[in-house]
Amino acid sequence: MRFLALASRNLKETYRDPLALGFLLAFPLVFMLLFGAILSGDTISTYPVGVIDDDNTPLSQAFINEALAEVPALEVSNYDDADTARKDLKFGDLKAYIVIPPGFGEQVSQNWQGKETNIILNITYDESDLMLSEQLISIINAVTRSFARIEIPITINANPIHIETEITFIDFMGPGIIVFGLLILIPTSARIMVRDKEKGFLSRLLTTPARPLDFISGYSLCLIAIAIIQIIIFILAGWLFGMDIVGSLWLAFLIFFLTGLSSIGIGMFVASLSKSENQAEPLCWLFAMPLAMLSGVWFSIEMLPSYLRAIAYAFPYAHTIDASRAVLIRGVGVEAISSDLLFLVGWAVVIFAIGIILFRRSMRS
Amino acid sequence: MTSDRAKPTKASDDIAIQTFQLTKIFNSLVAVDSIDLNIKRGEIFALLGPNGAGKTTTINMLCCLLKPTGGTATVMGYDVNQQPFKIKELIGVSPQETVISDHLNAQENLNLIGKIHGVSSKELKVRSQQLLETMGLSDRAKDQVRKFSGGMKRRLNIMMALIHNPEILFLDEPTLGLDPQARRAIWEYIVQLKGEKTILLTTHYMDEADFLADRIGIMDKGKLVALGTSTELKTSMLEKHTMIIYAWNLTQKVINEMRSKYAEVTVTNGTMMITDRQLDFKEIVDRLHSSGAIVRSAYMKEPTLDDVFLHVTGKELRE
Repeated sequence: MRFLALASRNLKETYRDPLALGFLLAFPLVFMLLFGAILSGDTISTYPVGVIDDDNTPLSQAFINEALAEVPALEVSNYDDADTARKDLKFGDLKAYIVIPPGFGEQVSQNWQGKETNIILNITYDESDLMLSEQLISIINAVTRSFARIEIPITINANPIHIETEITFIDFMGPGIIVFGLLILIPTSARIMVRDKEKGFLSRLLTTPARPLDFISGYSLCLIAIAIIQIIIFILAGWLFGMDIVGSLWLAFLIFFLTGLSSIGIGMFVASLSKSENQAEPLCWLFAMPLAMLSGVWFSIEMLPSYLRAIAYAFPYAHTIDASRAVLIRGVGVEAISSDLLFLVGWAVVIFAIGIILFRRSMRS
Repeated sequence: MTSDRAKPTKASDDIAIQTFQLTKIFNSLVAVDSIDLNIKRGEIFALLGPNGAGKTTTINMLCCLLKPTGGTATVMGYDVNQQPFKIKELIGVSPQETVISDHLNAQENLNLIGKIHGVSSKELKVRSQQLLETMGLSDRAKDQVRKFSGGMKRRLNIMMALIHNPEILFLDEPTLGLDPQARRAIWEYIVQLKGEKTILLTTHYMDEADFLADRIGIMDKGKLVALGTSTELKTSMLEKHTMIIYAWNLTQKVINEMRSKYAEVTVTNGTMMITDRQLDFKEIVDRLHSSGAIVRSAYMKEPTLDDVFLHVTGKELRE
């Protein structure tokens, strides 16, 4: 098993080099953190909240107009019925709505008289924004307790709903950022391969009976391990920043994995054409940066002219972003993205085949 | 690629490496120019020559790294163009640049090459232990090699060529850049392999070729300009002798007399150097005495490989 010996060597060579390892994992992560911080930043100081007063007592009116209205973080508006509020929630005009059930005034008044009574409120909010829901519930909890002059926590019937039409920015950008991470895999792959070429280590190995396929699989196994770790880190970071994961995580992983293979293949292609890291590095970025632009990493490519879109869809990355968005945000299954998946598989196969042919050619000059 | 007049023949049993008009041209530079070479089994053969003479290019063609532009070569009867992988199984190569895997330890570097050659783990353990001991690296076996000194890396470089016990060994400048002590150690190890393995080494150190090699081929500008044992090469020079005399009171008269008699006479600071096809030691010393000179010492200069090199290439071999 020559390729296993080679793969194990390549892995050791990578993880024992702290600088290289740091670059491999930290560089894409820094990007993720940076974009995550920018995109998930909750700079909105007020949450638009709807209120439906089903109790309709002076106390419930006072609660709305005095207690809730006093909270700077809330922008309260009255609704007549829950359906209208729900609609506005879906359109993003509201972050949540509170339904004050009948009996609320009675419960508060009992508490004022010293009898501890449970207070019930119903809150419906958009669950996709994790930070918001937590903040909102604790704010309303605190306001209600101070209004009713009680120590005990009130009962909040939290009713998170998932709103598919309302996609937060991080949901939209998450897959793009992950794809950018996978684009960085192109220079990474090329670097690992061309490093051995430049130092003459490859030449030494070429005097052994190892075959081109052994070398390709030896490098690929190492790079695949790196890709898997990176994808896990990216998804984890995206999730921490509030990226929605509605659909199958495995399916999303598969999409990213196939894309990773294509990046490794392109890296191999570049490595076969270059003699040194100095040649390979700029050549890789020449692939990675335009592809990042074209594939919709930073913005939606709907606005691109059609010929640029055609170029974008000739490479795997635009397909990845489409497919992973569909899976992560809309929760579609494998059948809905089968054509994208097929394209990704085909691309990976073809680029690897080209890599092997080029490598074989570069073996003996 | 095979030229018509030099078809590879079935190598006879005692020939390990054979080249037939082996040629390599890079763009317009003729790096190796129609070399014909026979290296016997168990022989240590040194290719001697200055940098850029084509030694490494020759080795690289023999270990199937470079495709010959013309001619061909066989290693243990296998053709470099047709059966490269057969050859790769039989050879061990220590390249000119020290190439080892920096973040692997010595043992892991050896294991890597061993495993690629399909050596079993058990045998690998025994062999690497032996090699590490012989090369004096056993106490550093588990250290990452990037912390090694140049000499240690160089030794490991050679060990990696030996780990799979190959029949044929290519050592490209095995002692390049080593201190005299480390060079000695490697020489002694190579001498131990004499007779067991066929070794083709390149060097630009005269003493190295002289000490190690059974036969020496001198290369210059891609051509093989001289070939033979060290003694053969030196005696081929014997058509001219040089005598060196340290003397006082050398008169211009006797110097002129010598110049008229012998082909080449130089005098610097009381040292007279006489070179000609035939020199009569006694006659020269007697003549100098009778002229009133006081001869402090006089000797016939033994030819060295440097002289051979100077003779065949017209220049001195310098680093």
